[in-house]
Amino acid sequence: MPAVQDILVFFQTTPALDASVVAWARYEASRGTGIGDLVEESEPPYNNAMEAMRDGWQVIQMSELKHRLPEDGYELGPLPYQTVLSKFNELQQEEDLPS
Amino acid sequence: MKEHLLTAKQMARFVASGYLKFEGMIPPDLCRACREEMPHNNGYLSVGAPFEETWPKGTALGDAFRLPQVQGLIHSLVGPNPLYDHHAAHLTRAGQTRGPDMHQDSVIDFRDNYFDIQLSLFPVDTPDNMGGTFLVPGSQFRNVRTSEIGIYHHIRGKIWATCPAGTMYVWNTRVWHGARSNYTDRDRYMYKLRLNPTQPQIRNFDTADLDDPEIGQILATNHGWEGNEHRYELMQRVRLWRFVSGQPHYDVGERFLRRIEYQSSPAAV
Repeated sequence: MPAVQDILVFFQTTPALDASVVAWARYEASRGTGIGDLVEESEPPYNNAMEAMRDGWQVIQMSELKHRLPEDGYELGPLPYQTVLSKFNELQQEEDLPS
Repeated sequence: MKEHLLTAKQMARFVASGYLKFEGMIPPDLCRACREEMPHNNGYLSVGAPFEETWPKGTALGDAFRLPQVQGLIHSLVGPNPLYDHHAAHLTRAGQTRGPDMHQDSVIDFRDNYFDIQLSLFPVDTPDNMGGTFLVPGSQFRNVRTSEIGIYHHIRGKIWATCPAGTMYVWNTRVWHGARSNYTDRDRYMYKLRLNPTQPQIRNFDTADLDDPEIGQILATNHGWEGNEHRYELMQRVRLWRFVSGQPHYDVGERFLRRIEYQSSPAAV
């Protein structure tokens, strides 16, 4: 089977690649086209992006620092930074996977 | 009603974490009757009308939300004469799985010193694998656009309802939350009621322990996801605590708000 791209997204409160992961998401196209059952995970698969890089994940996006205007300097919204990692894994048939 | 009001420490916990949990809130018999009514109790009543006039009487659900302990909770958070916003009987069927569902209830609300509450009743025992609603404690100051945060599949500090029948959660409407997979062979209900305040939400709780030093520690709670943002979160919590406790100069620890409020006087120049 061909290898296809899986994506791992780390959300952080600083942009550095050695920053702790506080939230995370997996988009594993090798396994399917949707996420029908989100199984709870209490810990991220890696503590930071550099750990993931040592396991073969390639960084395809890292965050820039933000410029903050005085009027919105204290406004809170989404988590501020994210790192996107990529790895190619063998394509699996969706019906072969547990739902 | 005074014996059913929240304490100042409980109120501080609500300000910091955005939710409170109360086991044994609804007695077992009433719980069973509520559960029977739930499949036939979806829909909207008169949105924006006074809760007391709108909420049904002579039904199990009508009675449950009028119990003195529930009324005390409601009064503590939104004050007297709240308005009915909406209700819903959220169902996750036996064996129904759910994908990422994190969202903030609409609509986006940037108002300071204001919050709606949602009361969530779990009418049957809700074990870990039954898919009780999840919450991200402390997320209520982070306004987002409804379901865009579905991109956060997992987040440190996430909790979910695991509780005996009759448990009620109350939460700030802005808390990030969602549904989870139900791996059991029983349908899972979460019955929610949203209420709006009709007056500023100031000192509606029992203030006897307002000066307890533990309140500062409660406001500084770290839920696990805050990281470098923690002090900015704390500033928001202190702002809301100042308002609900009627203490416009309250601050804690390093007094971060003072740093952005301090003005030198002409005499000191």
